[in-house]
Amino acid sequence: MRTKKGQVGGHTLSGYAVVWCRDFRLQAVKRRSGRGVPAALVDDTQRQSIVLCCNTLAARSGVGPGIPTVQALARCPQLQVDRPSPAAELVAGRMLLETALGWVPGIEETGPGILTLDLATQAPAQWQESASHLHDRLAALGLEVVVGLGETPALARLAAQAALHGEVDVWHLRREERLEKLDQLPLIVAETGAGLNEKLRLWGLQTLGAFSRLRREEVAARLGDEGVELWLRLTGRIRRPLRLAKLEQLFEAHHDFDYEVSEREPLLFVVQRFLEQLAGRVAQTGRAATAVHFLLTFADGACHAKRLPLPEPTLDPGLLFRLVSGHLEAFEMKAAVVALRLRFEPSDPVASQKTLFGAGLKNRHHYEETLKRLRKIVGSDRIGSPRPIDSHRPGLFEKVPLPAELSDGDSDESGPPVTGSTLRRYPLGFRTSVQLRDGVPLRVESSRVSGIVIASAGPWKSGGDWWHEGQQWERSEWDVELLNHGVFRLVETGREWLLEGYYD
Amino acid sequence: MPLTGNSKSDALESLRKQLGRQIKSGSEFLQEREQKTIRLVTGLDGLNAALGGGLPSGQLTEIIGRGPSRGGGVIMAALLARARSEGRYVMLLDIGAGFSIGSFPERDLESLLWVGCDSATQAVEALDVATRDENFPLFLLDGRDCEPSDWKSVRTQQWYRILNQLRQREAVAVLFARSEVTSATKHRLELVSRLALDDLHQERETILSRARFQPVQRVTEDREEQLRVG
Repeated sequence: MRTKKGQVGGHTLSGYAVVWCRDFRLQAVKRRSGRGVPAALVDDTQRQSIVLCCNTLAARSGVGPGIPTVQALARCPQLQVDRPSPAAELVAGRMLLETALGWVPGIEETGPGILTLDLATQAPAQWQESASHLHDRLAALGLEVVVGLGETPALARLAAQAALHGEVDVWHLRREERLEKLDQLPLIVAETGAGLNEKLRLWGLQTLGAFSRLRREEVAARLGDEGVELWLRLTGRIRRPLRLAKLEQLFEAHHDFDYEVSEREPLLFVVQRFLEQLAGRVAQTGRAATAVHFLLTFADGACHAKRLPLPEPTLDPGLLFRLVSGHLEAFEMKAAVVALRLRFEPSDPVASQKTLFGAGLKNRHHYEETLKRLRKIVGSDRIGSPRPIDSHRPGLFEKVPLPAELSDGDSDESGPPVTGSTLRRYPLGFRTSVQLRDGVPLRVESSRVSGIVIASAGPWKSGGDWWHEGQQWERSEWDVELLNHGVFRLVETGREWLLEGYYD
Repeated sequence: MPLTGNSKSDALESLRKQLGRQIKSGSEFLQEREQKTIRLVTGLDGLNAALGGGLPSGQLTEIIGRGPSRGGGVIMAALLARARSEGRYVMLLDIGAGFSIGSFPERDLESLLWVGCDSATQAVEALDVATRDENFPLFLLDGRDCEPSDWKSVRTQQWYRILNQLRQREAVAVLFARSEVTSATKHRLELVSRLALDDLHQERETILSRARFQPVQRVTEDREEQLRVG
């Protein structure tokens, strides 16, 4: 019975997946070649070279971890032998994580080649299909994995072990058929110590199902903590929190130059390559970049770090390159570069979701580029969306960034209606001589306009900032209509008359 | 033997008859294109009527007020209000930076990008850059305080490049000026009404309903040169 979303019959439907890459170190080295042939990794740092791990084909010929390499080659003459490669393991580990991030965001790197995924963000009906899809995607990348599904991290790991032993791609340990499934699994699958396994064998217990049917008190009395821990794992009563992987490491590329780089071209070449790589990685996770972090290390030990924000999340390598190269070109390198680090700040796709009917900028990247070019022409302080500021001093306004989304145009939430004609200001005003009669302007003379006043309104006095020493102001405004010229605003400041603007 | 004017048109007419009138003359072609032009309806009846339905997209329209208090500012405010209600962004290139914020309703400012320019040349340069951006369907170039000679340093090719960019994006540019500016403008209207002191207390709709427009003859390139010298 479905009671509410995510719950069945009153129980919360949580789920975990464990992605297990068999012989990870070997697969990392042999990802692109050596598949379908017996292969092994050896440790030849000691006096006698020994096998560290091998694939199934090699194991069938009697090769196994710990045996001398010479013996392994004697048993399997076609055996391909390699040394472990931390770089290859790093690449393969990233690939594993990136691909898994395309399924769910919550992932723990449990061990080398082992990931634990929190499936809470996906409907249970899709788990099996998604797991198969992940398996296929990784297989296409040269990594053979199995996926175990279970209601706790421990049961998912058990399911993954069962898949490894059963040689199936996906093994799902469902709550309703847990005991039946555990009945099929030998004790070795539970990864317990040899002592406990031996005791259970002596008791006549052959499967995990049989063990989990025992009563907890009996297990505790006879097997102690180790037995209870196994019993709790098998019955799904242990649910440890996951230590989620940090994506920053995934979205970062770093290069130490073999030689000092003092020209921009080689630097831009590496930047372009990094951007393409990182864009590909981030794309695998279903995200986009919201900013690029850029760090240069110079030969004199100095560093230059910069966060280059993007107006809108993107993975367009061309746009990202223009962003970084634009910064590099404007930046003066005082010493040669010895290292370069680039990192993408990934976006939250849900947070950047646009409204369906909202009006907004069509292309924010293009808008930012236009702004940048306009700032070069008019100056950065002469561009923006004007907003009134909280002051009675006339004519002041602040410039804010243009909103990327426009609110509903019919709403009357902000500002009172404006009536009358508009004022066009003369930014500095024109000094004016004003002839008065009975305190009312009669004639106006200035370098801009001169004429007889045929109608006037005023004065409107205002003042402010008297609480700031030396900044107080006081003025009287007059609106005057000049014969054959139009309507103007005159201002008397106490010291002089100014023609402040005209109405139009 | 070279054809005279009459024989040219006779020859063209006979050629057309032979081809079943498949050939269009230049004026016919332009007329047809004019009819197909998308127009930005302004919400101002007088302006719409004078422009044949609204501001033509891909074109620069000049609105001339030969002095203060002709109503250019009110029309600018009305265009901004209309654009805001339709969810469009507007760029205002303000030559002389005489923008007065109190003259515009706050909600209309949300969709406005103000660019303060020192000179006509700078404003046209900025317009040249801005018209490449598809985010702005409407550009207002406020040159009401410019003298005719201020425009002389703007190259004609630059105007035509701007026109080409406007056409590509089906955007509209409106130039408010005191006199004719460029031969690239196809639609030019003069504001012949005049505002009085009483209009400071009138509703905007009332002021706009009294605005009178008069088409101004197209400026030839020779005349443009004269204007520059003048």
